[in-house]
Amino acid sequence: MRTIFHLDLDAFFVSVERIIDPTLEGKPVIVGADPKQGRGVISACSYEARRYGLHSAMPIKMAYRLCPNGIYLHGHYQEYCRYSEAVKNILCRYAPVIEQASIDEFYMDFTGCEKLYGSFFMYASFLQKTIWKELSLPSSVGIGSNKTIAKIASDCMKPKGITYVIPGMEEEFLRRMPVETIPGVGKVTLRDLNAKGFYKIGDIAKAPLQYFSSCFGQCGTDLWEKAHGRGIEFLSPGHDRKSISKEHTYGQDVIDRKIIEQTLFNLVSKVCQGLRDEGLQTSTIGIKLRYTDFITLTRAKTIRPTSDDKEVYETVLQLFRKNHTRRVAVRLIGVHLSKLEEFSEQEFIFEDEKIRRKKMFQAVDSLRAKYGYASINVGVAQPSKNA
Amino acid sequence: MEFKVNSKSLEKLLTKIIPAVPSRTPMPILENFLFELKDGLLTIYATDLEIALKSSLNVVAEENMKLVVPARLLYDIVRSLQETTILFQITPGGKINLKTDNGVYTISYLLPEEFPDIPTFPEPGSTSTENIGEVIISGNELKRAIDQTSFAMSKEDMRPAMMGTLMEFTEEGLRFVSTDGHRLVNLLKKEIHLTYNEQYIVPERAISVLVKILEEKDVKILLSKTYISYKVGDIEFITRLIAQKYPDYKSVIPLENENKLKIRTAELLSAVKRMLLFSPTNSRKVKFSITANNVEISAEDIDQGAFAKENIYCEYSGESIDIGFNSAYVNDVISHLQTEEEIYFKLHSPTKAVIIEPVKKKDNEDIMMLLMPVRLNN
Repeated sequence: MRTIFHLDLDAFFVSVERIIDPTLEGKPVIVGADPKQGRGVISACSYEARRYGLHSAMPIKMAYRLCPNGIYLHGHYQEYCRYSEAVKNILCRYAPVIEQASIDEFYMDFTGCEKLYGSFFMYASFLQKTIWKELSLPSSVGIGSNKTIAKIASDCMKPKGITYVIPGMEEEFLRRMPVETIPGVGKVTLRDLNAKGFYKIGDIAKAPLQYFSSCFGQCGTDLWEKAHGRGIEFLSPGHDRKSISKEHTYGQDVIDRKIIEQTLFNLVSKVCQGLRDEGLQTSTIGIKLRYTDFITLTRAKTIRPTSDDKEVYETVLQLFRKNHTRRVAVRLIGVHLSKLEEFSEQEFIFEDEKIRRKKMFQAVDSLRAKYGYASINVGVAQPSKNA
Repeated sequence: MEFKVNSKSLEKLLTKIIPAVPSRTPMPILENFLFELKDGLLTIYATDLEIALKSSLNVVAEENMKLVVPARLLYDIVRSLQETTILFQITPGGKINLKTDNGVYTISYLLPEEFPDIPTFPEPGSTSTENIGEVIISGNELKRAIDQTSFAMSKEDMRPAMMGTLMEFTEEGLRFVSTDGHRLVNLLKKEIHLTYNEQYIVPERAISVLVKILEEKDVKILLSKTYISYKVGDIEFITRLIAQKYPDYKSVIPLENENKLKIRTAELLSAVKRMLLFSPTNSRKVKFSITANNVEISAEDIDQGAFAKENIYCEYSGESIDIGFNSAYVNDVISHLQTEEEIYFKLHSPTKAVIIEPVKKKDNEDIMMLLMPVRLNN
């Protein structure tokens, strides 16, 4: 039996905003899109704002209607990253194995540490207090025998809660919870489950596996396993990144191709930086295009492995120009890099140009590491229109 | 209209021609043979527009004609027949009846007008303005040269010139060069000359077909600016050349590689094959740690938790050096020098190109391979 901790920073973005501006304490704070623009969603909101019925991922327009007196902030993403890194550093001091699931979520494997650290409950409290003392960030911890249980547990007693699911009690713990508590159950799955009469996790656990997997396929089998309190027991601390992507939703839908191509350029620049930061190369490059009528298309192309802005941008432009055939305004545009592999250390016979660019990117990377992403931009000559 | 032909001799001919028939093409007509019957001589053509093959045999016929016959189907029937005489009966309704002693096989034919033109070379001595080069090479020698060089051709279309093998005629002789940017093979056949110096890049597809048709017999090669023709016995093989400039391979051959490593080829090759098993699947990295009388080669696949090393005796004159390679490339290069008892590695530094060549020089040929290292991160 393993012991997995899931530590979730409570209303993380809001907590950081409160460190930057302490006067926000006790007020309904909403981080996300600008409600005046009327587009986009809530990234995070304080518990005070949640009393008005707000929750993350809610359209900002609706939020504004529910809570017009809230304090709407656009957010300081770089600060969030800095604090997230700081939390990770604290956790690394104590946890033998750690996996960062997102900017504000961490899994830790404390299996076999009870002799060392005593009661897990007390230890979770110690971690919480340490983070609070050093960074003034509140957090909640869930402890369970696998990742799913730990995650559900950490969500149980927010904010500043600790939930320890005693091994063997997983099914009982889950039995009365609504099915949407299981991570991965979204709107669509929820609707399908409800349609078949599954409202509580216990309902799923009671159903025979065969019935469940025939209704929902592999997803169903996973869901059924989760309902029985089983899940992934091992963390993957290494960066086993499968893809890197960035999207941009326009404040106002855009029809001008030049503007879209400019956005693509900025997105490419960001994803390529992410790629190089992790020492990776991509060989499958994709774009996502969503029109104002929500018709969305994704297209991808495979080229030889690269992390060069120029090569990626050329491919992206090619894909965009080939596939953007409708005369309809564009709402969202995105770039998606997949089939990632480690940076090749193979030397080239002819390609002096390649070596020059490699050196250039090394310089860009170190400048950005020191002075921030925006300190320098890589220029790319615009390929001709009929390319 | 009809003609008669022996099934085995037709099969032999079709086997030589069929490689030029494309398996997938936007032009369905190319999936056919063009039959040309003229004064008792049957000439069969196939092309994919890049390469073309033609060959002839004598048949018993009284009329002249041209028609287009489905290649794969005809080949498969003829191949499956015992030795017999096949009577081809052409009916005006677009059908051909293939009659044997006890069977009739009917296939459809098309009219020859749609079949694309096959490039031809002017007959020697004709009054053509274009300069046509001509050279004769032994089939065996050409085949060996291609075997030794073609493996290094690039498969990526970033630089089209590198997707072929360079045949360069110089004062020194005929040079075969191929490279994919990571390794390079440079083979000089000293006894083959042309009256002038010129570069020809033969595309990868042509090379792979050429290897199939080459025999011991001499090959007559005709060269123009855009096409090259190989005549092997009664077969003529024509291919379009890659109309690009070949990268300047001479400028990248290092001159300052003074550290010489002498090693037995067979020993190194067998060790490298084992290291290949332990190298990581993406980089295939293998490390050579070279000291005065010893090379330690090692590979580690962290994902699999596997590690291997071997020591091989060598003679080495320079400073100790650690250098990494892609083991698949090392394997390729050394496999193509297998006939040599001993080889040299000429090194300079862990990031510079390494020259690999046989210790014993031959009188009539020079072979040199170039291998770029993989950076070791330590």
